[in-house]
Amino acid sequence: MARFHPLTVTEVRKTIRDAVVVTLKPEDGDAFAFTQGQYLTFRRKFDGEELRRSYSICAGLDDGTLQVGIKRVDGGAFSTWANEELQVGHTLEAMPPMGSFHTPLEPGARRHYLGFAGGSGITPVLSILKTVLAREPQSQFTLVYANRAVNSIMFRDELEDLKNLHMGRLSIIHVLENDAQDIDLFTGRVDGEKLAALFKHWIDAETVDTAFICGPEPMMLAIAQSLRDHGLQDQQIKFELFASGQPGRAPRKVVSKEAAKAGHETEARVTLDGESRSFTMTKDVSLLEAAIANDVDAPFACKAGVCSTCRARVLEGEVEMQTNHALEDYEVERGYVLTCQSYPISNKVVFDYDQ
Amino acid sequence: MADDMKIDDYLAQGGMLTSPDNAPPRYRAELLRLMAAFVDSELAGAAGFADIINEGPGVKERIAAARIVMEKTDHADRVLRLMGEFGANTDRYASHHPWGDRLPRDAEIGTERTNPDMRLAVFNYPLDGWSDAVVMNLLMGCAVGVQLADYALISYQPLADTIRRIAPVEARHTELAREGLERLLETGTERAQLQESVDYWWPRVRLSFGSDESKRTATLRAMGLRHRANSELRARWKAEAAHRLEELGLSIPQ
Repeated sequence: MARFHPLTVTEVRKTIRDAVVVTLKPEDGDAFAFTQGQYLTFRRKFDGEELRRSYSICAGLDDGTLQVGIKRVDGGAFSTWANEELQVGHTLEAMPPMGSFHTPLEPGARRHYLGFAGGSGITPVLSILKTVLAREPQSQFTLVYANRAVNSIMFRDELEDLKNLHMGRLSIIHVLENDAQDIDLFTGRVDGEKLAALFKHWIDAETVDTAFICGPEPMMLAIAQSLRDHGLQDQQIKFELFASGQPGRAPRKVVSKEAAKAGHETEARVTLDGESRSFTMTKDVSLLEAAIANDVDAPFACKAGVCSTCRARVLEGEVEMQTNHALEDYEVERGYVLTCQSYPISNKVVFDYDQ
Repeated sequence: MADDMKIDDYLAQGGMLTSPDNAPPRYRAELLRLMAAFVDSELAGAAGFADIINEGPGVKERIAAARIVMEKTDHADRVLRLMGEFGANTDRYASHHPWGDRLPRDAEIGTERTNPDMRLAVFNYPLDGWSDAVVMNLLMGCAVGVQLADYALISYQPLADTIRRIAPVEARHTELAREGLERLLETGTERAQLQESVDYWWPRVRLSFGSDESKRTATLRAMGLRHRANSELRARWKAEAAHRLEELGLSIPQ
């Protein structure tokens, strides 16, 4: 299992009003060797509760530095903290780089890459474009970059510099939702219609080897569909999804620890796929077995506490987890259990597979 | 572009998830289950084949068998690493089940997974010597090919990428089985003996495609974890395997 390592903050730079670029120096440099397009997962405690957030590396392989871009999300505890309070000299904890948003580099390749970024979705795309332009001197990159307005474009100057550095190999199309531009096509949202027009007038889809997409979900869907319509195969389309599915703050744990009473039976309530069911179970049966015996189609695989398929959250009552090779301490603290290994102690147990 | 879209809707419309952070609980559970079934089947398949290496009639055959064992174990490892990113304990995984264990050859277990592991039921049956192993490998290889073609479309991008890398190697295993059977026929193995193995393995491999549409299939489809129906996969396998058998002068059992 991946572990967290300490990294020292060596620079915090504002790129736009509500986004910072954070430069990090890991104590263990080898653990943080990365591939372009990967991300780091950070952890930090807020009000005693651990939060984990992933941010993409925006540096290229040859930049000789480890940098992530963090855009402030409304109500987002970690991103707000990073934008307002994070300072040089602070120590952050992160897991080694992860993610497969990249294709193998080939110095002799003559490829045409097409990148689509929406807002802060630029961070991994920037890492990729810097890297491929440097490592594949004959490849070219076309970037379609969607933002609300000129002042919300992250890395605007840096992208201009890269255009000059790699003369003729990097083209950038800025699409702005609110600001009018010289060419009408570049104003508005990146949707199916706009993409059709882009492919008709500006980008020759037939020359594209690989497309990278990172942005909000509707934009990614529209782009992927349009790419398929223009002849790209699924394996030529690489997605990177982030931000959503990451609530700003996890809900508080609601665990009332009842003292174990004598009595062999437990009233159980289980929720799966939004449906709840109550039943009585004995204390020598695991939560998973009891759920299955009561016709709940609970998920499981190894039944040995190894694979974590059967994870659920105990909302009420107390259980004993006999073996745990899969959940981490912070998950256990929040009430997550492996139901195949968990036996009731209290006389009432409420657990939920949907959390 | 701060458009909000529910992850369920995104998936139902063909969206891709890219890291454990993106995965909602139910999706995570179904995905891990699917990966565990794949890993367990690869490990159990490799373990069964490992025992047969030394029964290969010649050095070339033994190399082919050893290679299949090595590569299937490697494929298990690749998918296991993805499970590890979700918190599964990769160090303990390989050793927590006796992958080589088999039931008696005449056990009637249908599609039941009798071991606590998630291997496909077909991997609970023992191989009966070299030629039987090669027949099983051919029929199962066709099934794996059909299944992997569906997995390559899966909505978890790291897995889809891994499957695309694995699929051609698995296809080569099926090719090795075909070559192996050709060689057996050339060197005097009776066709009737091979047909007996076909008759034994055909219904068992066929069952690995599961029952027809279930509520679960619909759930998996909405999550982008399944694409084609079981019946369609089974039909594809049947067509492919029947063609392969025919080329060798063998036939589907009645």
